[in-house]
Amino acid sequence: MNFKEQFILNFVTDNRWTNITTGLIHTIIITICAALIGLVLGMIVAAVRTTYDKNCESLKRRGGLGYIIMTFFNAVCKLYLTIFRGTPVVVQLMIMYYIIFASAKNGLGVAIIAFGINSAAYVAEIFRGGIMSIDNGQFEAGRSLGFNYIQTMMYIVIPQVIKAILPALLNEFIALLKETSVAGYVGITDLTRGGNIIRGVTFSAFMPLIAVALIYLIMVVCLTKVVGIIERRLRKSER
Amino acid sequence: MKDNALIEVKDLKKHYKNGAVKALDGITTDITKGEVVVVIGPSGSGKSTFLRSLNLLELPTSGSIMFDGEDIAAPHVNINKHRQKMGMVFQHFNLFPNMTVLKNMTIAPMKLKGLSKEDAEKKAMELLERVGLADRAEAYPSQLSGGQKQRIAIVRALCMEPDVLLFDEPTSALDPEMVGEVLDVMKKLAKAGMTMVVVTHEMGFAREVGSRVVFMADGVIVEEGTPSEMFDSPKSERLKSFLAKVL
Ligand SMILES: Nc1ncnc2c1ncn2[C@@H]1O[C@H](COP(=O)(O)OP(=O)(O)OP(=O)(O)O)[C@@H](O)[C@H]1O
Ligand SMILES: [Mg+2]
Repeated sequence: MNFKEQFILNFVTDNRWTNITTGLIHTIIITICAALIGLVLGMIVAAVRTTYDKNCESLKRRGGLGYIIMTFFNAVCKLYLTIFRGTPVVVQLMIMYYIIFASAKNGLGVAIIAFGINSAAYVAEIFRGGIMSIDNGQFEAGRSLGFNYIQTMMYIVIPQVIKAILPALLNEFIALLKETSVAGYVGITDLTRGGNIIRGVTFSAFMPLIAVALIYLIMVVCLTKVVGIIERRLRKSER
Repeated sequence: MKDNALIEVKDLKKHYKNGAVKALDGITTDITKGEVVVVIGPSGSGKSTFLRSLNLLELPTSGSIMFDGEDIAAPHVNINKHRQKMGMVFQHFNLFPNMTVLKNMTIAPMKLKGLSKEDAEKKAMELLERVGLADRAEAYPSQLSGGQKQRIAIVRALCMEPDVLLFDEPTSALDPEMVGEVLDVMKKLAKAGMTMVVVTHEMGFAREVGSRVVFMADGVIVEEGTPSEMFDSPKSERLKSFLAKVL
């Protein structure tokens, strides 16, 4: 079979290309939704961890419920980070799908939750690292002007943190895009599985798998370009 | 005297590591309105800890700090309200690098005092005029020299119209040729009646501008008095040997 016949067999016959497009759409949906969950949940976890680190002395001094509650939530966050960064995402996905949400019919939803919660653990550490990288003098300057802890974070620290971590954050989402390729383990037709389905039918591996690889590559290269542009912009505005 | 006390510090202690390190070991002193208190002492004597305890950047282990009719060292005090009246100037300036000079100066009055942008900027520009930096209003901190940064840091604190200004070694991070311009601003402030507590190694400034000099060592006040008492006729051995080293 020549190239053209291979192409027709793998993509045109029986509209097999739709496996790829459907898969691509699912991959994009999972990535975007999981990224959003990761961002929000990650920020919350980072907020708990840094608030505890920065205020535990004054909370302890005041005593009472505030300190106990913060200590508890901080411990929960630490445990969460250990577990979700310490196990493979595909195992987490399967546990979610086959155990925790065993009765759920919506595989896509479960995958979004699983990848979102996993990504949040990494986002949280990126945020925390960013907050810790800001000189404590910035924080003290804010507090000494009379801003409370939250105002100091909002007006002084976070704007600097976002500038500092934006590239790392975007790179995390690029990694997430590639990681979603294990979604097929729980029966979701993502881009990878779409290609694999074609291979299963046509018994020809080359075209569908190379096509899948190329599509990932194009997406990643484009996103990396965007990160590069943003990075350069940020550096310029740094002066 | 007692009537004008702005800050009354009583038996202030700050211990680290469960009391193994006694950074402050019982400080008692009053800071009076309009007074310029210069704190001197060897490295590690607790000068910064004392200064930073006054606005609770360090949380005291025990003791009291009366300010504005309240013991601000007690738990459950809303320290943010009090800090608005206690400006602080740091050794390393701590300007906000992502904001222009004007934004550095106006953000606190706008967010905390509800000043309009126009009013806050008008006030900031007046202060910038006074320190000769009006032309740098739109500059970013990284575009300024060290001396300019510290002058901006001082007027940033002044924008909140504090009752007292706390300085922690404001000229120690500066190149020698820039020390003068910062000390000049501080002198002007002192003349204008600003209450100031200044930790410094600039003995010339202490003698010329200080209304009282406090000598600390090992977390306690060893000796205090007017500049001439302290520099011309020191009593304690520790102060004598300290002065012999620094003068
Ligand atoms: N976070 C901390 N943990 C433990 N010990 C500390 C801490 N901060 C300060 N100390 C100790 O408290 C003592 C007083 O420190 P402080 O910074 O107030 O001294 P200083 O007089 O300002 O010195 P310098 O002139 O070097 O600035 C020192 O012995 C220091 O090691
Ligand atoms: Mg010090």
